[in-house]
Amino acid sequence: MTNSIELSGLCKSYGGFALQDVDLTLPGGAILGLIGENGAGKTTTIKCILNLIRRDGGEISVLGRDNRKEERLWKQEVGVVLDECFFHDTLRASDVGRILAPVYRNWDPALFRAYLDKFALPGGKLVKEYSRGMKMKLSLAAALAHRPRLLILDEATAGLDPVVRDEILDEFLGFVCDEDHAILISSHIITDLEKVADYITYLHQGRVVLSGSKDDILDRYGRVACTAAQLAAVRPEHLLRVRRGQFGCEALVADRRAFHRLYPDLAVDPLSLEEIMLLMGRGNEA
Amino acid sequence: MTGLIWKDLLVLRKQLKSYLIILALYLVMAALGLFPISVVSAVLEIVLLMLPLSAFSYDEMSHWDRYAAALPVGRRTMVAARYLFTLGVALLAAVVGLACSLLFSLFSGEPVGENLVAVVVCLGIGLFYADILLPLCYKLGPERARPWLYVVIFLPIVLILGAYYLGALDALDALPDPVLVALGILIPLLPLAGIWVSYRLSCSFLERKEL
Repeated sequence: MTNSIELSGLCKSYGGFALQDVDLTLPGGAILGLIGENGAGKTTTIKCILNLIRRDGGEISVLGRDNRKEERLWKQEVGVVLDECFFHDTLRASDVGRILAPVYRNWDPALFRAYLDKFALPGGKLVKEYSRGMKMKLSLAAALAHRPRLLILDEATAGLDPVVRDEILDEFLGFVCDEDHAILISSHIITDLEKVADYITYLHQGRVVLSGSKDDILDRYGRVACTAAQLAAVRPEHLLRVRRGQFGCEALVADRRAFHRLYPDLAVDPLSLEEIMLLMGRGNEA
Repeated sequence: MTGLIWKDLLVLRKQLKSYLIILALYLVMAALGLFPISVVSAVLEIVLLMLPLSAFSYDEMSHWDRYAAALPVGRRTMVAARYLFTLGVALLAAVVGLACSLLFSLFSGEPVGENLVAVVVCLGIGLFYADILLPLCYKLGPERARPWLYVVIFLPIVLILGAYYLGALDALDALPDPVLVALGILIPLLPLAGIWVSYRLSCSFLERKEL
């Protein structure tokens, strides 16, 4: 099966920031969560995929097609929800349908109306009268009504309350039930990604520092909590990142079972994606 | 492309309605003899040509270009849609102006030829506006391009008036009316010829833009 998205060696530099050699693969039927702190390069990566900005180097293919040469073809099969609602305040939800119907070959007006009903969005109300949650649901309905095979979502759940987020996440899970479908989603809300993502790619300062199956990452990575003296006895190559505090130290290890075999006296705990991200982002080299 | 033109019409429909009211008011004033009907043609062209600039402003406010560039339309189509919208607006203003001029000439006895030339000159200014202002909007953004709107509209008027007062147009008086009308009809063809260059320039500005 063709991968939904393939990035290899993606580079893009601005004045004080550079995306460096980003590799990423999103298989069909999966959700890939792109995580990272503000300014880590998540949005830049998504903009490069969508060809909204020019990349300095690397290759990108979407649904098996070159993202620049065959842009209009693959975009017919992709739904996009970015971090804000782009529909003008003076438009109504029904207008959005009228605008997008000639844009997409497979636009399904009945499906769009069904999504508006499902999300309880009044078709006659102006966009400016919608709450942020309603605007994001409208964007999602617009992204789904042409039956895309791939959804690209940049901070699509940011600023939404947990109930609306949960509703939208359920929609994503329903979408990938079809093995031909896939989702690339960037988010700060790691708990959301922990709930729905199959794969995680963590960007830190423009580089991929962690990438793989979510279950595998959660199963393998571990945190060692110990004293400074105990930490000094551990060989640096067995530790990914270290945080030294006034009352003790903690370290991130890539394989907690292997670490436990090597250092049976040290306790190694499983940790959440958010904790991995914090240790990766705020910790230092061992 | 239809979707993008549709979007402009839907976003600007409220503004269009208020412009129709303005048009009706001007028509009433022209009917009362407060000014010749050619003034209505000019006002119509100027007022309706505010619409494309407003479309740029609304797009900027909602960051529409970023979304549109993520759609399967391509940046050249985005530009082409805006040009077609602008040309459509300029043409609509000319057609309505023409209809009003003909009706007024019929009922009030105003010279048909003169009114016709006024409509055609206004259309020429409208097309000149598209030539200059659209690339400026893509390059500078609508707010920084807005002052140029007044330059584009009033420069041809100032030039024509200047030529008139300097006597440069005296030679035209010697020409028979049918020749004058034919010359007037040729006026919009000059800026129309520039549309392609203007469109290519706008495309290159938008293609280089990082959204």
